[in-house]
Amino acid sequence: MSDTNFEPRIVGFLCNWCTYAAADTAGVSRMQQPPNVDIIRVMCSGRIDPVFVLKAFAEGADGVIVSGCHPPGDCHYTNGNFKTFRRMPLLEALLVQYGIEKERFHWGWISGAEAAKWAQLVRDFTEQVRALGPLNWKRELESKED
Amino acid sequence: MITFTIDGQTVQTEEGKTVLEVARREGIPIPTLCYHPAVEPYGACRMCTVEVELHGRTRLETSCTIPAQEGMIVRTNTPDVYKVRQTLMGLFLSRCPNVPLIQELAAQYGVTEPPYPTDTPDEKCILCGLCVRVCQNVVKAKALNFSERGITRRVGPPFLEKTRDCIGCGACTIVCPTGAIEIVMEKLAVYKEKPLGPTSAIYVPSLQAVPRVPVIDTDVCIRFRQNDRTNGRIADACGVCQMMCEANAINFDQEDEIIELEVGAIIVATGFHMWDPTQLSQYAYGQSPNIITGLEFERLSNAGGPTGGEILLADGRKPESVAIIHCVGSRDHNAHPYCSRICCMYALKQAHLVRDKTGAEVYEFYMDMRAFGKAYEEFYERIQEEGVFMIRGKGAKVEVLPDGKLRVKGENANLGVMVSVDVDMVILATAIEAQPDADRIASLFGLGRTEDGFFAEAHPKLRPVETNTEGIFLAGACQGPRDVPDTVAHTGAAVSMALALLDKGEVTISPAIAWVNEELCSACKTCIALCPYRAISFIEEDNVARVNEALCKGCGTCVAACPAGAITGRHFTDEQILAQIEGLFRLPVEQLEGVGS
Amino acid sequence: MTTKPRATVLLCSSTGCLASGSAGVREAMSAELQRRKLEDEVQMVIGGCRGFCTMGPVMDIYPGGIFYVRVQPADVSEIVEETLIKGRVVERLCYKDPVTGETIPIFEKIPFYAKQERLILRNCGRINPNRIEEYIAFGGYEALAHALLAMTPEEIIRDVKASGLRGRGGAGFPTGRKWEATRMAEGDIKYVVVNGDEGDPGAFMDRSIMEADPHSVLEGLTIGAYAVGAHQGYIYVRDEYPLAVRNLQIAIDQAREYGLLGENILDSGFDFDVQIMRGAGAFVCGESSALMQSLEGKVGEPRPKHIHATERGLWDRPTCLNNVKTWATIPHIINNGPEWFRRMGTEGSPGTMVFSLVGKVNNTGLVEVPMGISLHDLIYDIGGGIPKGKKFKAVQTGGPSGGCLPAELLHLPVDFDRLTEAGSMMGSGGMIVMDEDTCMVDVARYFLDFLKEESCGKCVACREGIKRMLEILTKITEGQGTMADIERLETLAWTVQQASLCQLGKTAPNPVLSTLRYFHDEYVAHVVDKKCPGGVCRALITYSIDPEKCTGCMVCARKCPQTAISGERRQPHVINPELCIRCGVCRDLCRFDAVVVE
Repeated sequence: MSDTNFEPRIVGFLCNWCTYAAADTAGVSRMQQPPNVDIIRVMCSGRIDPVFVLKAFAEGADGVIVSGCHPPGDCHYTNGNFKTFRRMPLLEALLVQYGIEKERFHWGWISGAEAAKWAQLVRDFTEQVRALGPLNWKRELESKED
Repeated sequence: MITFTIDGQTVQTEEGKTVLEVARREGIPIPTLCYHPAVEPYGACRMCTVEVELHGRTRLETSCTIPAQEGMIVRTNTPDVYKVRQTLMGLFLSRCPNVPLIQELAAQYGVTEPPYPTDTPDEKCILCGLCVRVCQNVVKAKALNFSERGITRRVGPPFLEKTRDCIGCGACTIVCPTGAIEIVMEKLAVYKEKPLGPTSAIYVPSLQAVPRVPVIDTDVCIRFRQNDRTNGRIADACGVCQMMCEANAINFDQEDEIIELEVGAIIVATGFHMWDPTQLSQYAYGQSPNIITGLEFERLSNAGGPTGGEILLADGRKPESVAIIHCVGSRDHNAHPYCSRICCMYALKQAHLVRDKTGAEVYEFYMDMRAFGKAYEEFYERIQEEGVFMIRGKGAKVEVLPDGKLRVKGENANLGVMVSVDVDMVILATAIEAQPDADRIASLFGLGRTEDGFFAEAHPKLRPVETNTEGIFLAGACQGPRDVPDTVAHTGAAVSMALALLDKGEVTISPAIAWVNEELCSACKTCIALCPYRAISFIEEDNVARVNEALCKGCGTCVAACPAGAITGRHFTDEQILAQIEGLFRLPVEQLEGVGS
Repeated sequence: MTTKPRATVLLCSSTGCLASGSAGVREAMSAELQRRKLEDEVQMVIGGCRGFCTMGPVMDIYPGGIFYVRVQPADVSEIVEETLIKGRVVERLCYKDPVTGETIPIFEKIPFYAKQERLILRNCGRINPNRIEEYIAFGGYEALAHALLAMTPEEIIRDVKASGLRGRGGAGFPTGRKWEATRMAEGDIKYVVVNGDEGDPGAFMDRSIMEADPHSVLEGLTIGAYAVGAHQGYIYVRDEYPLAVRNLQIAIDQAREYGLLGENILDSGFDFDVQIMRGAGAFVCGESSALMQSLEGKVGEPRPKHIHATERGLWDRPTCLNNVKTWATIPHIINNGPEWFRRMGTEGSPGTMVFSLVGKVNNTGLVEVPMGISLHDLIYDIGGGIPKGKKFKAVQTGGPSGGCLPAELLHLPVDFDRLTEAGSMMGSGGMIVMDEDTCMVDVARYFLDFLKEESCGKCVACREGIKRMLEILTKITEGQGTMADIERLETLAWTVQQASLCQLGKTAPNPVLSTLRYFHDEYVAHVVDKKCPGGVCRALITYSIDPEKCTGCMVCARKCPQTAISGERRQPHVINPELCIRCGVCRDLCRFDAVVVE
């Protein structure tokens, strides 16, 4: 079901040193991107507890992005991103079991120099989620409580 | 000490010296062909034959092999000796009638024509064995030896086939008295006759080097290359430099010393690397010795360089016309997309030097003239007034003509025509790029790199000398192309920030670090292994994990991982983040006209 | 039932006789004995070479010592029938004295042998070299036992010195002094080496000894090792002697089994072992320093002589190198004492010497005689003189580097110093007899050709000098020579002698220098008269037919490869000089001696 006026709400958990910096640069550089992504900064992608992602969907997000520094060598804290690398596939599988489409969750790596890549991700992912339509997971959950 | 007479002269020498060595020392001439002080004597040419009287017996012996003995009487030029040498030279001349050295020596003994039929008029090798001895015993590459017997004896590699054992050191060509051996370049590589770099494995970096002592390039040095080739088994190949050094200053056993320093700040100033123009074949770099890079021109023009500062072509002539091509490898999607910043100005300087030193015509092919600094634009005007031809258009192709001239083709965009000019010398203002080992250095210091390959500054506008890691600063061209004034400024900034850091005497650390609530900790030890800084330890007595506040950098990995939720990230708590998420969705989204999609 | 055989057939199976078919004789004999059921009564023994190879295959029959020559497999049944069963001599197989024509069936009576003093050759041909028991039965290894158990090394050296033994390899260096120098040299590891390279063409003394009596060499070597303090020995055998290598190896293996080689020899506490190394076809490797280079696996190139091998030899360690014959002499000196040895030979050259007497002489083969015998006696008494009634012209002593001595010097006693004085040398014992049909210039050319091939090429004097001397000699034999060439030849020869690095080069000019000295007129004839007095140099001779002698039998005309001879039956024939290539076939065939060469 697609709502032509549907604007997806996307939450991005970005690590401070790499992807957050890239997003910052993208903004500073006036790269064109849709405003659908709200960014929450963490110091390291390893800080991201899967609970945050679930909370975001529960609060109404239609899509979530998790992004950090490229493994193996870019992590500002040496190997925080390794832990992220381990957690995310499991989280992805969990989300699917909850009925959330895989395409609503993007996890990856963008370095501080890759501002253009961030902008492109925002553009592509927004369209991807838009095509999926609203998730309304909260309403889903609430309806099941009854 | 041994005392003996030679040609009536009483001389003394230590035991073990040959008669020839003593004669040479005393300045008594004895002709030799197969003797060289750097190798063992061989006794093949027999020319050093002298008359030796010892213990009542008189014999003819070769002075290069016979050791001096007490009471010996040596006569170096008796009629018999002369006759022997004369006959021998007749034999040599008949074998190699067209070798100048043999002709000269034979003439000294009255032999001007070959006395025997010459069936080998082009023969140059006199089978003296010097090349064999040098290759076997000094260089120890063992690529050369004799084969066959008697008059079919010849020198060469095994089975006279090309062998990879030959390392091309050229020692054989140096010792060969008749020039019978040549070093041949395998590929069409340019053999720069006036080398613009070091000419041997041991060299003084430049006349202005401080300290002005030679260094050995272990990638080129035969001794070290032999070590690599044989896994260190041959330990003493060549070593001629050490043999010749009178001050005994050469020590091959010097090892790299690993020095550990504890420092408070690091400034990375690893500089830049010249891009290799062979990667764009249209510039024909490497196909003519007169196509040089900007850096090579600097060397050529330097008073301490191979030509003493004169601008000369490879064959020693002054050029009459020179083309300078800008943006070779810069502003080029096939090489580096960025501008190398320094080339326009140095190209103008080089044009000026060429005009000044040689009066040659100079053609500058440029795209844009980047004269951005103080007095730069004024300099540009001055060079134009000096009669340098400025052609606004990329120099597209360099062709090497059969007569050695270089044809540069390009576009004159101002006139909208293709131009072509034949010049004697082409200077390529090549791009500068990050050092080839930049990725290794970046890993080592935890530096990021920007897309152009240079090290990443903390912020492109506001923090040019800092990096993401506290205490590590960048200085100079390693962060991006810059010229001298800008490098000085940049470096000054880096140094100031480092000094400021050290001067404080104390370090401020972020309070956003992890803390373990020991009442909630279940001693599962999951967090211990996760910490990249080993900042969490397990305290046995208390059966809890505890964070070392000085080590913790606040990444939060342990916070996310703790199954009991016992670890809090101070000032970055789960509650705070969750609150942020909630907050995001509390506010309604306002649809603005024309925004979105 | 093991009965002692009543007769023994000794068959030579060394290289020479093998080449003339002794293997076939052996098979035939074996088969015949079986057929006649005589295997238990008659034993067949493989013997070694006694040096009478032109008469091969040779066979001895004991008891009686009957000696048969040129035995063929077809003769075997007659020998078994007549000699072994009926006890008669088969006259046609006996040796016939070439001078007197006498048939001599008993080996010891043959003058060629009777007049020899066979000391180191005594076992050759008499024993089976592959059975150490036979060597021991004839007194072998007694000297070793005495030396190891009853003498000190110093005493042995003293005896060898006192005996005056000089190296039998050619240089004639006093053996005792060499041993003493090796013993005195510094170093714990020393070597002894046997020079079995025997490169001289036509020389086969060392071959004979190595094949027929290998233990004599081993025994002498072991004694020597004990004397100088070496525990490792090498026998360097030229590659062209595979049978010698085989027999030596069998001997070594058997000696080891008997405790005569290896650790703790004869319980004396002395360890010594031997390894055989083969050459690779280079005459120069007979030169001791080149030999040692070859042993070390390097190219066989000589070193300057002032580096003494006794101080720095093999692998730079003290090395005592001696010839096969020298080592083989040692057991006799130990057994009989130095004074006994001194009683034979001359003051300056005591003992015996083995010569290989070959060429234009009736009795060819190995001859061992006391030093000091005159050339004349050697050639005429023992050798039986020149065949076909030709005149003696020259004898070359000492191998290809030896000099040629003319008839005037036949009185010379054969000893190291006298031969060297005369411009020749003892060398390894080669003695080539030449008759009037030899061209001395061609002889010099022939040997230079050999030496040119064998020069190692290291030093210019030898390598280029020999080449150019050969060029000049070839020119002369082809009739293109001038007197200036002879002068140049002399200068070259002198230079090569003076300036060469090793003895090969230094002695290479000997054939040239000695022929120039003693046969100068022949050179002049070649150069001035353009004639070859010896009738050899094809460019300078003509063949013609003496019409007085020619019977017109037409044999030569038919055989001439160029059909250069014409003539009617019963009419004197004529040779067309334009077609004649001087091959000599007509001369060889003519039964009337009508072909004249001049």
